[in-house]
Amino acid sequence: MSKFAKLGSVRRSWDTAILALLLLVWVFASLTTSNFLTPLNFSYIFSNTSEIMIIAFAMLFMIILGEIDLSVASILALGSSMLGWSYAKGVPIWMAILICMLVGTVCGFVNGFLVTRLGLGSLAVTIGTLALYRGIANGLLGENTVNEFPEFWTSFGFDTIGNSFMPKTLPLIIVFGILFGLLLHKTPFGRRTLAIGQSPEAAKFAGVNVIRHKMIVFTFTGFMSGVAGVIYTFRFSTAQADNGVGLELLVISAILLGGVSIFGGIGTMWGVVAGVLLAGSVESWLTLQEINAQWRTIVTGILLLISVAAPVLVQKGKARRELKALKS
Amino acid sequence: MNFLRKLRPSSRESSLFIILVVAVGGTGLINPRFLTGDGTRDLLTSTSVVALLAIGIAPIVVMRHIDLSIASTVGLSAWVVADFCAKNPSFTWVQCFVIGSIIGLAVGILNGLLVAGLRLPSLVVTLGTLYIVRGVVYVVSNSVDYNAQEMPVSLLALGQKVYFGLLPFTFLMVIIAMILMAFVMKYTKAGRDAYAIGSNPPAADLVGLKVFRRTFLAFVFSGVMSGIAGVFYLMRFAQVDSTAFYGQELAVVAAVVIGGVTIMGGSGTVVGAVIGALLVQTIQGGLAALGVDAFWKAAINGLLLIIAIYADRVLAVRNEKQLLAQRIRERI
Repeated sequence: MSKFAKLGSVRRSWDTAILALLLLVWVFASLTTSNFLTPLNFSYIFSNTSEIMIIAFAMLFMIILGEIDLSVASILALGSSMLGWSYAKGVPIWMAILICMLVGTVCGFVNGFLVTRLGLGSLAVTIGTLALYRGIANGLLGENTVNEFPEFWTSFGFDTIGNSFMPKTLPLIIVFGILFGLLLHKTPFGRRTLAIGQSPEAAKFAGVNVIRHKMIVFTFTGFMSGVAGVIYTFRFSTAQADNGVGLELLVISAILLGGVSIFGGIGTMWGVVAGVLLAGSVESWLTLQEINAQWRTIVTGILLLISVAAPVLVQKGKARRELKALKS
Repeated sequence: MNFLRKLRPSSRESSLFIILVVAVGGTGLINPRFLTGDGTRDLLTSTSVVALLAIGIAPIVVMRHIDLSIASTVGLSAWVVADFCAKNPSFTWVQCFVIGSIIGLAVGILNGLLVAGLRLPSLVVTLGTLYIVRGVVYVVSNSVDYNAQEMPVSLLALGQKVYFGLLPFTFLMVIIAMILMAFVMKYTKAGRDAYAIGSNPPAADLVGLKVFRRTFLAFVFSGVMSGIAGVFYLMRFAQVDSTAFYGQELAVVAAVVIGGVTIMGGSGTVVGAVIGALLVQTIQGGLAALGVDAFWKAAINGLLLIIAIYADRVLAVRNEKQLLAQRIRERI
């Protein structure tokens, strides 16, 4: 009986609802479109969401902490530009890739420094670094693009493993997903992240080094944005300053869609994975229906509004039911 | 002696104004044209749109909210107004402003209902409406552009109008809006409530301030200002396509924050926001005069914003210490 009750509470939680919604979208899409449920289409979905997924793994921690990083897409662009720029200057490709990830890490560290050491608000600071990092990428490459890369790496970007539906980037994403999932749900670090998100004050008095913790999260968000920069560069075989413009909003909307509270303290890894895949699947369905690309901007916006409004409305409904139960 | 003390820059606005004067003077040294009537007129014309938007979102930021949908609203208003004018050649500038305001009003009401009504975080809501409104521009415009010949002559003439050889009509409107809003924010109940809400939202709720109404109206106001800014955009550029003013929302937020309106709410003035917009534009002009590549523009904006936030923080900490010292001194 108690197990049954527990199942009931799980069923009612938003991140389970999102899994159900994802399945529903898949069923609906495969009924309305003949070529939705094909290996090829799924390889597109996985491949199109790869950068969003990679950044979302780290951004999940950020939003649980109650902080936000709007500069991730700019870090991606700066890393990508540095990769292309240094490769064009004759740096070996593996070194250029390391530079990209290093640049990401440094950018994340700078964000963390500004937020934790100087005590500035993360929203304002990362709006500033959003402009700053992309501006540096602009200054570095201007209107130039670098699109000559070794074939081994570009094939890593957009080929699949053998004849399967899995893009070559998928194993990397799965490894990162498992690592960050374990980190959040199975380690003290993850528990501390949730604790800080629930109440920074209480966490501090419980002996959590909040400043160092936030510093670590900002830095690895930068690192993951750098990794996403590598994947983005090879997937499109271009390094240019306006790579991934506006991607930060897609990442945030996918995370919120996955049931992570924008107020911090609540969130799960599988919710986020489902959220990213849901956004990617809707996008794929719209493409297959040959719905104008212009409509997709509107759909993204509506998804974002739903993702933030739905949990609030669900909470309100719950409160109303409780009130009713209390009265009767 | 007392008179001299009063002249000392005690407020954020006066110190900003001094920085602005120094920046204008410095730019004038590199490029003497900057200080002439023509230079001033150019500076004021190019600041009008951002300054008007800054006036629009300043009350929102004071209330510890944010409106990121403004740039999309400017784009929508500019395109739809141009479309109406192209289809109705008899339209004059009056209809342009009416249509622009109505479009802004609609977006503002949507934002206001979501933020104030459902109590959703304004950052996420306006991020969503940023997408939706821009998407609507893409869909309705269907890649149609408009140029000067499709726009009312009276509107473009108004855009060219300059008073005393240096004050453009659009900036005169900015000054009028600034004075009105400065009065509202300082002397009316609505304005004082905005500061109270921004300083401590739960407390404002508990003491019975009309948080819903104030927040809702602030978003409606910002929407209307964005709609009018769309008409200003047409007056300045005399052309519009679906990407008009794309991604400029952060430049406006930067101007407001540089102008001393703290992103944490509860402080800052409309006058500061306008000075912030002028300062950003002047520094951009100065760097262009120095021969800095236009590609670095975004990076400089970002850096300015971070410096402004840091300055805010330092001032806030110093202020807090002074207040604490005063309290301790009272105990002696």
